[in-house]
Amino acid sequence: MKRREILKRAGIVAAAAVAGPFFHVRPARADKGDLVVVSWGGDYDQALRDFVFPAFEKATGYTVKLDAPPETAKVKAMVQSGNVSWDVIMTDTPAVQALVKDSLLEPLDYAVIDKAKLGRIPRELQQQYALGQRIYSFNIVYNTNSMPKAKHPRNWAEVWDAKNFPGGRTFNFQGGIAPQLEAALLADGVPVDKLYPLDVERAWRMMDKLKPIVAKWYTSHAQAIQLLSAGEASVGNTIGPRGITAKKAGAPVDVEYNQGKLASDNWCLVKGVRNKKVAMEFINTALDPKMQASIAQKVPYGPSNTGAFEFLSAQDAADLTTSPENIKQQFWWNTDWWSAPGPDGKSPREAQGERFAKWMINS
Amino acid sequence: MGRAARFWRSREGALVLPALAFYVLVYLYPLSRIVGWSFFDPDFTLKFYRELLAEPAYFKALRNTLEISVLVTLISLMLGYPLAYLMTTTSARARRVLTVLILVPFWTSILVRTFAWLVILGNNGLVNRALLDLGLVEFPQKLLFNMVGVQVGMVHVLLPFMVFPLYGVMSRIDLNVVRVARSLGAVPRKAFLYVFLPLSLPGVGAGCILVFLLAIGFYVTPALLGGPGQITLATMIDMMINTFLNFGFAATLGVLLLAVVGGIFGLFSGLMGLNRILGAGEGR
Repeated sequence: MKRREILKRAGIVAAAAVAGPFFHVRPARADKGDLVVVSWGGDYDQALRDFVFPAFEKATGYTVKLDAPPETAKVKAMVQSGNVSWDVIMTDTPAVQALVKDSLLEPLDYAVIDKAKLGRIPRELQQQYALGQRIYSFNIVYNTNSMPKAKHPRNWAEVWDAKNFPGGRTFNFQGGIAPQLEAALLADGVPVDKLYPLDVERAWRMMDKLKPIVAKWYTSHAQAIQLLSAGEASVGNTIGPRGITAKKAGAPVDVEYNQGKLASDNWCLVKGVRNKKVAMEFINTALDPKMQASIAQKVPYGPSNTGAFEFLSAQDAADLTTSPENIKQQFWWNTDWWSAPGPDGKSPREAQGERFAKWMINS
Repeated sequence: MGRAARFWRSREGALVLPALAFYVLVYLYPLSRIVGWSFFDPDFTLKFYRELLAEPAYFKALRNTLEISVLVTLISLMLGYPLAYLMTTTSARARRVLTVLILVPFWTSILVRTFAWLVILGNNGLVNRALLDLGLVEFPQKLLFNMVGVQVGMVHVLLPFMVFPLYGVMSRIDLNVVRVARSLGAVPRKAFLYVFLPLSLPGVGAGCILVFLLAIGFYVTPALLGGPGQITLATMIDMMINTFLNFGFAATLGVLLLAVVGGIFGLFSGLMGLNRILGAGEGR
């Protein structure tokens, strides 16, 4: 071997030794490859890790790698740069719509999903690019010290009524959440079955009335729960299951389900997914009713598969947004209305979102 | 050999080259792409700029951003100048203690610190409890979700960036000069005003520019501690990217911010001279 050759090899070995610790070396096993799943982190991810991943890995021989959070901007950057490192993401419907608009998702292959499971999942959650995994809702969440139970606002009209229900309000702004125009219209007396198509101008007149009693327009649901727990706000519009989580942790917070807006976090395939069939197989596994029941016991989101309730006690079910008792007081968020492009090509999601920012900033 | 070619072959050229290459690759190139986004969709267009000019809300956000940043800079200067002065004139031991105390906040993440202010400044927070218990106020004072909260949170984060450039310049001032002024009959106030203060101005310039530029790009603190009156351009850019995936318009807002900052910086360096602002050439 020439001297140069030896040096070169030594260099490669040295480089490998230096770089080694930075790569996760997996033990050799029946490893066919990995599937990268992206979710929102926290307790729910742990529950996926505990209940869904082992079953999927055992059945397919693929290994799941988890990443968080599934930022839409990151998906766009990945697809545009041709450097896609995610396969399956779980995200909310507005994000799905934004992604679909820019053709950043792969259509789902429903043939892989068990028919029995699909039969137990609400039709609203079975879309071309998205399949519901967990159900949450935008609810009246209140501080039980400043608004004792039974004396708290029981509908949006009472949330808007600061005279009889005094205390600061908290509503969303930023964080990709649409303005709560449905709540505004319900507060103005529009019946639930006449909500859509939304009377936008009427809704904004109600938003004008809300503005002076809002203590803080929160930027994330975590902040909303913090404000309500600390009593900085007495009542607000935020994710019910997060309120339940706080309640279970001992915070003085509770959830009123009446007139809540149901929505879902959904499985999607990123455009350029490496192995579509395996990815669909993963989604199929996650829709298992028994697994969804186990997850719901840990993290109080509604299971998308209604079959899960057969594995849940009445007590566990009572605190889920989709329990038979709770779900009948609520309505489904009509995301089709929000995503249909208007005459100028902008969907209500975009047009009302921009109007929201301008309305806020010009106050 | 031309002047440029001579420079790159000189020692200075060799020393500056690695940093320059790094900046071109990871800063100037991406920046040029962002400027490009604001002009193409996918063909050349001025629609983003037309949209920007047509909507006063974005200029309101720009005004909010500048208002917040100027105020943060002034408050940091008022708090930081005496502190830096103390560090210059005190014993070495006290100086070490002060340095550590100023650096302590750096050890905690900015998000955690911002959330901590929510606990301290809230209606049921430490400050309001104390004020109520002492009978100084009848109702909780609004210290959050307005300019007060934003200023407290941001000055807390940015104060070290004011103190250290100030101290850097002050520590190089020969205090004998002040003593000479005193011995020639200047009262302490005059000795400070006419001798020490002018010599410390490069530090004031450097500290102010550093704090101002950092404040302009602040995102987390105004979003969490501010109200509708503190919506910044950074917030709007975040919304355009993360909510609407409108990279082109987000880039346009970024270019606006860059142009304004560049303009302000250019104005100051034109008025005062870049060397004086940054304290270059001092101590030679």
